[in-house]
Amino acid sequence: MSNHRNNPSRRRFLSNFAFASTALATGVGSWVIRPDWANAQAGPIKVGVATDLTGPIGYAGNANANVARMVVKEINDAGGLLGRPLELFIEDTASNESVAVGNVRKLIQRDKVDLVLGGITSSMRNAIKDVIVARGRTLYIYPQLYEGKECTPYLFCTGPTPAQQCDEFIPWLIKNGGKRFALPSANYVWPHTLNVYARKVIEANGGEVVFEEYYPLDQIDFSATVNRVVSNKVDVVFNTVIPPGVGPFFKQLYEAGFLKNGGRLACVYYDENTLNINQAAEIEGLASCLDYFKAITPEDPFSAKIQAAYEKQFPGTFLFAAGSAATGAYRGLKLWEAAVKEAGKIDRDAVAAALDRAKIAEGPGGPAEMVPGKRHCKMKMYTAVSKGGKYEIVARSAGMVDPKEC
Amino acid sequence: MDNLFVALFEILSFGAIVVLVVLGLGIIASMMGIFNFAQGEFVLLGAYVTYVVHSAGLPVWLGMLAAPFVVGALGFVLERSIVRRFYAAPIVAMLGTYALGLIIREIVRGLIGGLYLSVPEPLGGSVNIGTMHFATWRLVIVLITALVMIGSYLLLARTAFGLRIRASLENPALARASGISTSAIYGATFAFGAALAGLAGALIVPVFSLFADLGLRFLIQGFVAVMVGGIGSFAGPVAGAGVIGTLAAALPWVMPPVIADVLVFVLAIIFIKFRPQGLVSARGV
Repeated sequence: MSNHRNNPSRRRFLSNFAFASTALATGVGSWVIRPDWANAQAGPIKVGVATDLTGPIGYAGNANANVARMVVKEINDAGGLLGRPLELFIEDTASNESVAVGNVRKLIQRDKVDLVLGGITSSMRNAIKDVIVARGRTLYIYPQLYEGKECTPYLFCTGPTPAQQCDEFIPWLIKNGGKRFALPSANYVWPHTLNVYARKVIEANGGEVVFEEYYPLDQIDFSATVNRVVSNKVDVVFNTVIPPGVGPFFKQLYEAGFLKNGGRLACVYYDENTLNINQAAEIEGLASCLDYFKAITPEDPFSAKIQAAYEKQFPGTFLFAAGSAATGAYRGLKLWEAAVKEAGKIDRDAVAAALDRAKIAEGPGGPAEMVPGKRHCKMKMYTAVSKGGKYEIVARSAGMVDPKEC
Repeated sequence: MDNLFVALFEILSFGAIVVLVVLGLGIIASMMGIFNFAQGEFVLLGAYVTYVVHSAGLPVWLGMLAAPFVVGALGFVLERSIVRRFYAAPIVAMLGTYALGLIIREIVRGLIGGLYLSVPEPLGGSVNIGTMHFATWRLVIVLITALVMIGSYLLLARTAFGLRIRASLENPALARASGISTSAIYGATFAFGAALAGLAGALIVPVFSLFADLGLRFLIQGFVAVMVGGIGSFAGPVAGAGVIGTLAAALPWVMPPVIADVLVFVLAIIFIKFRPQGLVSARGV
């Protein structure tokens, strides 16, 4: 190819154009949703959402962002908060901690948000919490189910903790599966910490842990593990292997006849998103324990209302599901709304004090309330079993379950 | 005893999967002298084509049949339009093909919404002998891998076309002087390597489910396999893949998997240190 037709003026035009468009793109930056509001003197209340819109868990991050859009719109349609509109700022944490810190800093320093909600993985939370809470002097709500032990002031957790996911679930598994547990796990902080708690509950209820084993996060061949499960006559596989490994693992267990011989799969992050990783037969009877399943909508009209509203606004692949923190995000924003109303101002300390004892009567899966002084959230928990590719609710907590944290 | 057979079968089947994935990579590396970093994404595309055909309501095997042709055709187009510009600079070729792979991977991630999707195998279930279970589809993969290996070997070693490929690699100037269109040969070889990757993707997607990083998972293993096996011959990368795949599947049986994962690479590095030319050092087939 010859370049002689690229005369200098055209080249200069192109480079100028590239520069201008880059400046435009980085300058405007985050996705700003500006409500059309006339009578707010104090300006809008700014809500920041920092979540993984791109990268391997983009499906979860997009669901979180959608929930934030839905809740903010709902609050604005009902007249805003303290007579002021909410303005939503969404930043991408890109499943990458170093990118995330920069983008979260934008939320704090440039947009000066009054609240940051977001982060899905624990490593993401740990990377951005200091930027938000300590240096940023801003309130932080973390919406995902996680391993517990996060007791940073001004950091509120609205997803389930190990106690909430194990206390009622493991006795159910022992009754409906057996006493011999295997804990195959991905090698990172959540499985390690969750397993310590799970083991305690298993042993307290008369069960035993036959083996606990950790795998590299990208391992996709589990023949040795499957063999240990089968030859040790394990009753319950309490799995914390994550995608991409979990699909092949469950498949190999199925092929080895684990389910046919009466084995029970259990996995506490399994929601509607993860059902599609395997064919229905391969995970028949898989049990999960979460704060919400779509299957509870027939018995809980408010959950049905949220679910329908979400699906109407955001049809497509980003589901409103508990395992991707979408329900925690909804709960977090509503609890924060209640706290701001009670505090009567958006000053961080006042809102944090009110949020410390905030309650909502209705939410996904039922009511929720913060445990005073603990910055964690009581909520109802549900045990569901996969049957023919759909969840069926088999057990419900009697009331709200205590997070037992901090 | 039963246990031993099951273990051997599982190790063999994973070894076969790695061989299948590495085959196309090895052919491109050995016959053309460039490392194709987009090879993993050709595997992904093969898987994706299978998924698309399946979700259109057509039988899965039809998708598996179509995958090598679709991916091979795409490989041909990419070679003609982009990859051929890199032959003079192998390092740039790595970066260029990596960029291609990145583009393909992120497009597929967008298309499948970043989710993990299951694709059923055309032959499900397992073959039971006594108390032992052998997954039928893994048996099929072992068989097809053997057939593809034999087929590829015959193509390269016994046909006139194979001779031209080898001639173009050994001495491009002389090959051109003898009336061989090396540029056409390179295009065809790249397309063939891509088609093999497409086939591999189609066959393994029922085992591992479809996700955007499917190919990336095998890329590192594939390159280590090519290094261990030795570049320049057909047999080298295949032997390397066999060794790496077998080790990767076998070590977790005898030690904690986290250590096994690292040990495979440590062993590979030590091996390359003492035998830099790889397992098979001869050029040719």
